[in-house]
Amino acid sequence: MSTPTFSAATLPANDNVSSYAFGVELNGGRWFAQKGKMIAYYGQISFEALSAGPLDSLVASHFHSPLYAHDWIVASGSGKLLLADRGFDVNSFDLDDGNLTIRAGNLLAFEPGLELKQSIIPGFLTLLGTGRFVAASNGPVHFVEPPIRVDPQALLGWADCPSPCHHYDHSYMRGALGTARMLTGLGGQSGEEHQFDFTGRGTVLMQSSETVAADGGLLRQIEGQLGLLGTSGLQRLHQTIGARLQAERD
Amino acid sequence: MVAYDGEMTFKRQGITGGEGLRGALRRRVAGEGITLMEVTGHGTVYLADEATEITLIPLRGDTLFVESDSVMALDAGLQTGVQFVGLRGMGTGQGLATTKIEGHGTAAILSHGPAIGLQVTPEIPLSVDPHAYVAHHGQLRQDVVTDVNWRTVLGQGSGESVQFRYHGHGVVYVQPAERSGALEI
Repeated sequence: MSTPTFSAATLPANDNVSSYAFGVELNGGRWFAQKGKMIAYYGQISFEALSAGPLDSLVASHFHSPLYAHDWIVASGSGKLLLADRGFDVNSFDLDDGNLTIRAGNLLAFEPGLELKQSIIPGFLTLLGTGRFVAASNGPVHFVEPPIRVDPQALLGWADCPSPCHHYDHSYMRGALGTARMLTGLGGQSGEEHQFDFTGRGTVLMQSSETVAADGGLLRQIEGQLGLLGTSGLQRLHQTIGARLQAERD
Repeated sequence: MVAYDGEMTFKRQGITGGEGLRGALRRRVAGEGITLMEVTGHGTVYLADEATEITLIPLRGDTLFVESDSVMALDAGLQTGVQFVGLRGMGTGQGLATTKIEGHGTAAILSHGPAIGLQVTPEIPLSVDPHAYVAHHGQLRQDVVTDVNWRTVLGQGSGESVQFRYHGHGVVYVQPAERSGALEI
């Protein structure tokens, strides 16, 4: 087994370097990239947080997600950039005046031809417009067509179809045990009683594992809404979290 | 070692690890702990470590620099040693030293995901994220490039503020994953 070796000239430009790494060529252009996904680069490339002054107009027109702004940077300059994520499979997709929603933690980078917005479903981001983006998945990506119900952890994203709704197995909610479960969040979870339900026309993207990246955005979103709860709500949440932590330890 | 066939003997290398007393002392001071075992005989030995990828790097009299955690196996014709690298190692959270392997033979190194070799030529420098760095060899000069500014201090950094920059002739091996280091900027 020999290790594939590339030079600045032979490193694939805007294509996969291996199944697990993607090369981006910058010729004075810019790419949005998630923080910490750059593993190497040739040439002169600089990385700026979205709050950087010169990026103001770019961010204003292409990045509409304050929740995730902290996790993203803009790469600019000229050279070739290598992106990878935890040894996950990496793939690029082209959107042609399309719309695609993707799990925030799995989106590695996108061209400024695309516009990023926050999806209604927490933890997901929507890309609109024309351009290329790079996404990571644990195992190969599967494209399926609605109607379909998918496991929330295996869902990577969806394109062109309406946003999904939650689906719960009826038998799981029924009866006294089900009520107790709903109230306490404890006991008897098979882990498969909750799915996302897709209908309509479009494509659903799934990964072949249930490993998802820890998403700081979801946590920030919950934290941001704590103020709406009031004292009794906070106490209730405190109890629920305590019970969940106890259950996780057991 | 996960399996072998044929006739093999396994012998733990002494505390000096074939580097002599002085070498062992250096290693202890540097915190580049490495325990090698010597396998001799005829047949096939199968080596594996937590299903990580293994890269074979042939050495013809040149020196390979690699983190001690990433060393899996090496030919008997290769010598190991410790190289002090100063601030460079801090970026990876691995300390101030790295392991060097020199001589003629093949070294097997570990990486999370298949390693990618990136050639460096004098015209175009290569910059590497310390967390993705695995090993390098050749005539390379290694600098730490920091891009720390007031934004970083405010927690608005680019997340790529510390990089290794390589100049010269050689190959740098990177892995398609970032190990969690001690220094997060």
